[in-house]
Amino acid sequence: MPILEAKGIHKDFSGLEVLTGVDFQLAAGERFAIIGPNGAGKTTLFNILSGAFSPTRGNVLFKGEDISRKPPHLRNRLGMSRSFQITNVFKEISVFDNVLAGVRSREGLRCHYLRRPFKNRGLLERTDEILMQVGLENERDTPAHELAYGQQRALEMGITLSTAPDLILLDEPTAGMSRQETEDAVQMIRRVTESKACIIIEHDMNVVFSLADRISVLHYGVILACGLPEEIRNDQRVKDAYLGQDNQ
Amino acid sequence: MARSHNPVSRFGLWAVFVILAVLPLILRGYQLRLVTEVIIFSLYAVSYNLLLGYAGLLSFGHAMFFGTGAFAVAILLEHFAGLPLLLAVTLATAFTTATGFVVGCLLLRVKGTPFALLTLAFNALFYAIAVKWSSLTGGDDGLIIDPPQLDLWLLTLDPNKGPDFYYLSLAILGPVILFCWYFTYTAMGRTVLLMRENEDRMRFLGYNTLLARLSLFTLTAGLAGLAGSIYSLFFAFVSIDAISIETTTTVLLMTFIGGTGHFAGPILGAGVFIYLQNFLSELTENWPLIMGVLFILMVLFTPGGLVGIIKGAAQWTASRRKTPDLRKGAKNRHAHSGS
Ligand SMILES: Nc1ncnc2c1ncn2[C@@H]1O[C@H](COP(=O)(O)OP(=O)(O)OP(=O)(O)O)[C@@H](O)[C@H]1O
Ligand SMILES: [Mg+2]
Repeated sequence: MPILEAKGIHKDFSGLEVLTGVDFQLAAGERFAIIGPNGAGKTTLFNILSGAFSPTRGNVLFKGEDISRKPPHLRNRLGMSRSFQITNVFKEISVFDNVLAGVRSREGLRCHYLRRPFKNRGLLERTDEILMQVGLENERDTPAHELAYGQQRALEMGITLSTAPDLILLDEPTAGMSRQETEDAVQMIRRVTESKACIIIEHDMNVVFSLADRISVLHYGVILACGLPEEIRNDQRVKDAYLGQDNQ
Repeated sequence: MARSHNPVSRFGLWAVFVILAVLPLILRGYQLRLVTEVIIFSLYAVSYNLLLGYAGLLSFGHAMFFGTGAFAVAILLEHFAGLPLLLAVTLATAFTTATGFVVGCLLLRVKGTPFALLTLAFNALFYAIAVKWSSLTGGDDGLIIDPPQLDLWLLTLDPNKGPDFYYLSLAILGPVILFCWYFTYTAMGRTVLLMRENEDRMRFLGYNTLLARLSLFTLTAGLAGLAGSIYSLFFAFVSIDAISIETTTTVLLMTFIGGTGHFAGPILGAGVFIYLQNFLSELTENWPLIMGVLFILMVLFTPGGLVGIIKGAAQWTASRRKTPDLRKGAKNRHAHSGS
């Protein structure tokens, strides 16, 4: 059974048809990349998968369950977590507390009136583990807004991992990074998504080809092509539509 | 984060406790009444600051819960002769909590300016109901209460006696204020803070933010109701002033003067407000004018309130005495003071 299935996803924003029938399946443990030109609807697709808004038509199945109308917090509790293209962290709060928010949510410690998260050794250790994974162990106490850009992207990643998801949605995780930072980020992403399902939106073809097991090309609201990296690289339609013109 | 283990603050807490316990031996009559009033308004302001300082929700309607609690206890005691004092307070608090829940449900999806305006509208509605329903609330005349004696096992407290009422309010409200302080470190307390920072992200981390906000709103309503019920017992009287916009303004002023960025801010604010009001009202009829000007000046020049000034001074002396690398830690310790 696929872990995630999108069936005929349509989305229009009061007349503007952004997605016009997107179908795909994702197997457990698979790394799947979505590429496509600016404005193709990639982030919109993530918003629909993660519950930011509902599709106009079509269904999303996660672990066999139809989640098309479920709010984001319930999708997260089912084991799905997303990152944001535009860094979306808790700016005034320490890096540690940023990640702890998700770690304790995973344990159901969200709105308890008596239990204190910082007294729970297990949660603190798990949080430190995630900070190690994303390379922020030396910035534990730094407020998020004081981090350098690359570190903020790492924190974005850490928060996404904090709820221990089975499916990870990454929206342009390396956007705006230097070459070195990008290389490090790719290594890190490979490590943390090991044996997990992952969808990654990316413009950087080097990142895409070094991470993805399978690639989809989203173009004018539909999936133009879908296949192994080699197939995509050699697909004439893809070359015409995308690779030729926008390959930094 | 481990501030509760800070030996200084722990010692400070004990010192405050001891001072409060022996205070009736030092202060008499009117002076003790003022302290009692400060304690009552401290809880009112602390509950308000959980909304304003921690959750970032500006409410113009907190008096509707303070007033509901105040009237509920008065009406209960009037209509059910022989009702024990503590039961009346408990029922009044429970009723206000339920009221807070209902209002909270109606405010569920609003934040920011719409939230502020709707709370104002609800407060006006509550006030109008209290005025119109004069058979229950006494209308402009208010209700006179005759608080029953409190029989504890060996001890009988007479609410009409200053020291007795002082201990009564301290014993009830003190632990509740301490709980509020503890609450800011609990999962829910931290959640509220994170929601103020970035509610959208919280939803993608599994948090039902609507429910969390409703839950907090209900809690603060209940706390304000408790403060209100003790307030009307204290004066043995309640009038529609308790539910008026002025009573909302009072809590807003207290919280702002003390400072929203620290738990103790509103307590300090309540103390300063009540002593200042008391002092100024003896000097001039126009004391509200002076308070108003003072408030404007404070908002303009010290947005952090009195605790902001104290924190600033402490940091300044610390930075003069030592190398300035203390700053990072200090910043974190008061992470919630943020903006
Ligand atoms: N909430 C919204 N309301 C109206 N229009 C929207 C909304 N979100 C996205 N759009 C429109 O949908 C189209 C696709 O946007 P989307 O952000 O999904 O593109 P994208 O593929 O992620 O692009 P990029 O590579 O630049 O991130 C754009 O034309 C955008 O203006
Ligand atoms: Mg995008």
